[in-house]
Amino acid sequence: MTSEGAPAGAGLRSGHRRPRWPPGSAGDPQLLGSRVGSLSRGRRFLAYLAVAGPGLIAANAGNDAGGIVTYASAGSQYGYRTLFFMVLVTVGLVVAQEMSVRLGAFTGKGLASLIREQFSIRLTSLAMVCLLASNIGLVVSEFAGIGAAFGLFGVSRYLSVPVAAVAIWALVLFGSYRYAERVFLLLSVAFLAYPVAAVLGHTDWGMVGLDTAYPHFVASQPFVFLGVALIGTTISPYMQLYGAAGVVDRGIGPEEYRYERIDAVGGAIFADVVSMLIIVATAAAIGGSGPLASAHQAAQALRSVAGGGAEVLFGLGLLGASALAGAVVPLSTSYAVSEALGVERSVSRRFKEAPVFLGLFTAQVALGAIVALVPGNLIRLLINTQVIQGLLTPIILIFILILANRPEVLGPAVNGPVFRKVAALAVGSVACLAAAYLAFTVLGWFGV
Amino acid sequence: MARRPPTPAHSPGARPLRSRLTQRSEERTQRLTTTRAVREAIVSLAGILGRPVRNQAGGEVGHLVDVVARWTDENPYPPVTGLVVRVGPRPAFIDIDMVGRLAHAEVELRSARLDLRDFSRRSGEVLLARDVLDHQLIDVDGVQVIRAADLYLAPVAGRIRLVGVDVSVQSLLRRLGPARWRPRPTPDRVIDWAAIQPFGDSAPTVRLRTSHEGLHRLRPGELADLLEDLGRPARQELLAALAPEAAADALEEMDPDELGALLREAEPDRAAALVASMEPDEAVDALRDLGRDDRAQLLACMPANRARELSGLLGYPGDEAAGFMTTILATAHPDETVAVVRARLAELDEHRSDVDAVAVVDEAGCLIGDLRLFDLLVAAPDEAVAGLLSDEQPVTVGPQSSVDEVAAQLMESRRSSVLVVADGRPLGRILADDVIDALTPDRGRLHFPRLLQ
Repeated sequence: MTSEGAPAGAGLRSGHRRPRWPPGSAGDPQLLGSRVGSLSRGRRFLAYLAVAGPGLIAANAGNDAGGIVTYASAGSQYGYRTLFFMVLVTVGLVVAQEMSVRLGAFTGKGLASLIREQFSIRLTSLAMVCLLASNIGLVVSEFAGIGAAFGLFGVSRYLSVPVAAVAIWALVLFGSYRYAERVFLLLSVAFLAYPVAAVLGHTDWGMVGLDTAYPHFVASQPFVFLGVALIGTTISPYMQLYGAAGVVDRGIGPEEYRYERIDAVGGAIFADVVSMLIIVATAAAIGGSGPLASAHQAAQALRSVAGGGAEVLFGLGLLGASALAGAVVPLSTSYAVSEALGVERSVSRRFKEAPVFLGLFTAQVALGAIVALVPGNLIRLLINTQVIQGLLTPIILIFILILANRPEVLGPAVNGPVFRKVAALAVGSVACLAAAYLAFTVLGWFGV
Repeated sequence: MARRPPTPAHSPGARPLRSRLTQRSEERTQRLTTTRAVREAIVSLAGILGRPVRNQAGGEVGHLVDVVARWTDENPYPPVTGLVVRVGPRPAFIDIDMVGRLAHAEVELRSARLDLRDFSRRSGEVLLARDVLDHQLIDVDGVQVIRAADLYLAPVAGRIRLVGVDVSVQSLLRRLGPARWRPRPTPDRVIDWAAIQPFGDSAPTVRLRTSHEGLHRLRPGELADLLEDLGRPARQELLAALAPEAAADALEEMDPDELGALLREAEPDRAAALVASMEPDEAVDALRDLGRDDRAQLLACMPANRARELSGLLGYPGDEAAGFMTTILATAHPDETVAVVRARLAELDEHRSDVDAVAVVDEAGCLIGDLRLFDLLVAAPDEAVAGLLSDEQPVTVGPQSSVDEVAAQLMESRRSSVLVVADGRPLGRILADDVIDALTPDRGRLHFPRLLQ
């Protein structure tokens, strides 16, 4: 289900919101209404969320190009040994997502809006700069993903990345993006092959079980580096923003929050099970061969499913996932920054009337494409952008934690004493790992 | 032009140019003086927050935390009623009568004695820094949702009042920069507070008691834009402040997805009342976009006859004629006089936009003609309707007709509406503007994350 990125779920959602049933068919609202009328309101609401809940969509946005490559690198470098770490990351993701959707449901405001209202202007600008930096990193990774995907088909990235950037920019601006989106969505379904590959491949399930349940770490700089990348790709600031916005956008309020929480927690766990299966599939295929160095190598994990077609399958999936997020991430970043600046109005107007929004969007796409064109290894670049995410994630998480701890923001839904401690511990651990990475890096400069 | 050296006095056209230049420079001087005067007179809220509060002797009492103002109905400029000052570790309230001077970067108290009280919010009071600064407001004159980057206070009629909102990016930068930049007001994009509709959002005691009269002058489309741009608590508050009819008209203009979210987050009773006040075709569209259970809940909260009517319409698919027609139908019998029909039309006043012709039916309710309002207008009041009917067949479509078929009928007949007829009886009417709505592709309205659909 790696295709369940943000846009993927959104695609499903559109089918749900604007139904066009032929009269008298099984989907006819009148007939359906009478058939499921006996189900409780909550049950039905839950069924709706299970298909397209904002929590599920947001959490699965982590399984994009950067995610696939980082998980694959974890599998190839450390085999199954990062699985226990992923269990801890899952706890962090659950805590963060739950707080984000709770803030959205109880305040009815986006995260950027809340930060502007609740923090000083300096802290707000710190949060926005972090968000902008982290999301530009994501945009870079999406264009690197596009370059790597075309590389598998023998097309130079110096051709594919600029063309893709212009195409995405134009599609969004001139309004036919919605159709292109379906194509990208369809392509990214190729990543559904990963869980199948984990089952069909030569997986040592005993080792998988042991490494998942038995607490262990590898105390080395490469492991810390990979750990930060794994956190960055699994709990990115972008996801928190998206989760809260999705909840607000659908008018999910305090009454429905009970079900929304199931969606948020379930979505986070589901997303991480998929991530772990990507690690498992890659570990089974190329485990122990060191850090991932090329897309060809990553595609080997799908060999047990697609045989000789593994590279084509991987390439198509990577292209779809990257192109989808390549438009969505810059758009949502522009929205958040506009919200914090207080020019929301321009966002919902036509593009021409929204200079801030248009400028930010264009700048991000251009910057993302340019960085992805800098000569060097694309796979390394992809993982490095996830490290940037991992370093900035704790800052945004601290903002979220403070907001969720404030009774004047959440009223009765404020973090309880136990949750407060668990959340602080989770955020603190993420921050410590990021700090450890920075320490390793700085010490490295001095040759220690 | 302005940089050119002065032209010799005898050259042609010199005087007008010279005088123009003089005039321009005078204007500039005047503008600068005014700006300076304004800057001297107004106090930037962002500038005085956190500044020391001194007593008459110049001793520091504490630091300014917030400014309290009261929303009143008498004056468009809310008076400042006091200050919240941090004295030692705790915040204390100082009444405005105790304040001698409130100026750039400093607050001076009237006496050396200080009567410290804990701050407790009295009715109608808001904390300007906590509740208003950086929050959403409506600029009623400019019809836009803004976020206050700074608030300006000034003495008006003997009291210090909140007079304006700054929405410029410069003010944000000024607040970001070093503390000594902050007190200098930068009144470049300031909106007069008289044009502002604030919200009671984070101060639950200060609900919007009276709404800005300007709000009632806004067109439904403008209100719809405002509703789309506001956060959830503020938009529910705005909706509650509007008359039900005005609110329903605004909802009809909203983006369908925004409308769906708005109805889901509102109290079911309130949402049901709003949907019930909408025109039937718009109400059906709105209900169709909601989830099954939300729809059922809203219908259950409506008056029974209204719910029955809307459920009936919901039975038709949205892309067929019966699914997007309006059931507001003016009908007449052939033997009625024009005066009677006119009186009946007068009763349909609130649906005026949905009525552009009168369906003439016989005793059995079967359609025999469609009479334009123009024909009714020019006819003598005592003439019978039968006499006005021409040989022209009424323009009709079946309930299952597609949008394209309806459009074809409209183009062929050159009329502004068609009747939807089943078994010879009129069910409803489709106006040309509804067809335009249905045929026009969604324009590039961008709203995250709805962009993703």
